[in-house]
Amino acid sequence: MPEPGRALAGVRVLDLADAYGAYASRLLSDLGAEVLRIEGLGAPDPIWPAPTRGHVDLGALFVNAGKAVLHADSVTEADLEALVGASDVVIEAAGRLDGVGFDRERVAVLNPDLVRVTVSPFGGSEPEDGPVDDLLVLAAGGLMHLGGYRDLGPMGAWGGQSAMAASIFGAVAALIGLISGRSTFDVSAQESVAQALEDSVAEFALVGIVRDRRGESPREAGTGTFHCSDGYVSMVAGRLGTARAWSGLVAWLTEEGAPGAEVLSDEQWSDFHHRRTPAAIDMFTGIFEAFAESRSKESLYRDAQERGIALSPVNDMASVLADRQLAERGFFVEVEDEELGPVVYPGPPYRLSASPVLSPLPMRAADRDAVAAFIRAERGDG
Amino acid sequence: MGDSGPLDGIRVLDFCWIGAGALVTKALAELGADVIRVESRTRPDNLRVTPPFRPGTEGGLEASGYFASRNPGKRSFALNMRHPDARAIALDLAGRCDIMTSNFRPGVMERWGMSYEEVKAVNEAIIYLVMPMQGSDGPHAGFIGFGSTIAALSGLVHLSGVPERVPVGTGTHYPDHVPNPGHALVGLLAAIFHRSRTGEGQIVELSQFESTVNVIGPAVIAESAGIPVERDGDRMAGVSPRRAFATADGAWVVIACATDEQRKALASTLDLDSLADRDDADGIVADAVAGFAAEDLLMTLGAAGVPAERVNSSRDVLTDRRLVERGFWYDVDHPVIGTMPMFRLPFRWEGSRVSKPARPPLLGEHTWEVASSLLGMDREEFDRLTAEGVLE
Repeated sequence: MPEPGRALAGVRVLDLADAYGAYASRLLSDLGAEVLRIEGLGAPDPIWPAPTRGHVDLGALFVNAGKAVLHADSVTEADLEALVGASDVVIEAAGRLDGVGFDRERVAVLNPDLVRVTVSPFGGSEPEDGPVDDLLVLAAGGLMHLGGYRDLGPMGAWGGQSAMAASIFGAVAALIGLISGRSTFDVSAQESVAQALEDSVAEFALVGIVRDRRGESPREAGTGTFHCSDGYVSMVAGRLGTARAWSGLVAWLTEEGAPGAEVLSDEQWSDFHHRRTPAAIDMFTGIFEAFAESRSKESLYRDAQERGIALSPVNDMASVLADRQLAERGFFVEVEDEELGPVVYPGPPYRLSASPVLSPLPMRAADRDAVAAFIRAERGDG
Repeated sequence: MGDSGPLDGIRVLDFCWIGAGALVTKALAELGADVIRVESRTRPDNLRVTPPFRPGTEGGLEASGYFASRNPGKRSFALNMRHPDARAIALDLAGRCDIMTSNFRPGVMERWGMSYEEVKAVNEAIIYLVMPMQGSDGPHAGFIGFGSTIAALSGLVHLSGVPERVPVGTGTHYPDHVPNPGHALVGLLAAIFHRSRTGEGQIVELSQFESTVNVIGPAVIAESAGIPVERDGDRMAGVSPRRAFATADGAWVVIACATDEQRKALASTLDLDSLADRDDADGIVADAVAGFAAEDLLMTLGAAGVPAERVNSSRDVLTDRRLVERGFWYDVDHPVIGTMPMFRLPFRWEGSRVSKPARPPLLGEHTWEVASSLLGMDREEFDRLTAEGVLE
């Protein structure tokens, strides 16, 4: 039995993924697994959908933190045989091992207990002709249809979310493999995106309405993004809000003497059907934005939360980095990057009390010694 | 309950409601775990009264398609946690479960006498998932939010949209659907694996804010390194065009060309002059695309090797060839709602397409089943507790 500590102590993960699966092995690495990533194995470098500085790709920095990374040029066929044999988990883009002569049978002989997780844009084991753009997958998965502006058309979300989504479920699949002994998992980024369609499929199936992007116009009064003195705030005080959210919101606006707020106390406003009419939505937006015009994001955040109203600032990245709650919780981690100098990483997405999650470490260039060590290490599965 | 799922034998006492939490336990149920959802008739899950409803079925607590979509495969146990006698039953159940889940604000489980310490006292190895919006401690621990406000807080909304307009984010409560239930599953499964090797249980705490910041992690690094990140529509360096274009039949198609070869193929397919070095390339492509029906356009572009996809609507996803062939959707028959499509987890494993989670439960549908088989309760006691309003 391994030392108690990291949940995945002693687990070895061979990472042959492209952008769709790379964050999966990052998550496993933070949980204590040893991750060796080989790039360029029978495929071009992936597209990382994030900013770059010079040749430094921030998307790659983030998803490869904690891993030992080396290029396929310095890996022999014998190395790869030994690596496949020594791994507990392989996370790969479709057809990666198959494409270099390691077909299913050969891999099964080398390592009958291996958990194989394929993460690809549309699922399946056949490789795509080339890198698949995140925006295509957001479109095919249905999320893009709900995003964007009414006049400008559908629009995607920032940061390669189809790849992040697919990777998260890639990690889920790998862990299920470790727990249950199931050996082969096939993750589709399109399906990962299609987890996020909210009630729109049910709405079409039951009511026949195809939901369209709403852009800036909220679904109902009390909910939406509103302009204030120094930017925007986001609020949910409508149908999905807590029972007292709408009445609390009306009381707040009334007590503060917001011009026009008295109308919100009229009987009809307590009915959410009324609050969903375009006229009600427009009227509420007018009243709230006049009220918010002289107030900052921070003061609205504080005052609304004091009253049990779900309002948050629309933070830019500087505000996220300066957030008091995140600072108090010690969330951010400073990492020394060889090229960029000191940079800040987000801490882990969850905290485990008995098997603590590692803070992100920089990725490191692996050499032949690292390959040899990976192969020699004690098997982790007890 | 599946009969041969990878999590067969794992039992979950589920206090999650509404959004992100319900999707965590939906996944556990699909994987074969026995998920016992504690619900209250006095204070039902808000989703049970939230549209969409099939016309003519509105009213009551069983008609919501929203609730249904997040709860297949679970058993419903109706217990009024505000009743003083409820705690003993909940603790008895917790003693027989492997995992306990909740996504209330910090303090609610404690008020019910169901804190980690109290549950641990009856079940040393329990894995206890909490999903507070901003974590269990810190100055904003009591703050409330929903997916869309968490997306705003984390920076995702600010980064999604065009620069001169109000940022629009994803237009949904996205953190509730993927980042937060997904990360929670990773943490929870890691804890199950840890317990299988050590026998040790633990608390898994997912701050929905911190989890969501992670899906835009590169923006955090960029900001700290002084590299500006701002919303810029769907633009990306080196890829042009890269956006959705409207077609003649009212649909939208994304075209994303990362190479000159693809751009040449696009130009020749649309019968355009070279698009290279044209500042107005997007406009030229838009005009040309507007003359095609989406299906014809996709066939033509596909044959020419131009990367393109339909912007699938909620209707389109139900007939998308890949999703259908992979068995992503399956129908359930519900006594109030009728037939309704459910979605699977985004991966397949050996045998996974054969099993089909049970339809979403009616409120309290399994109260007697669980009370009698799991707690060994007899009919007399069950009736007494029901009459007293403990069981509902």
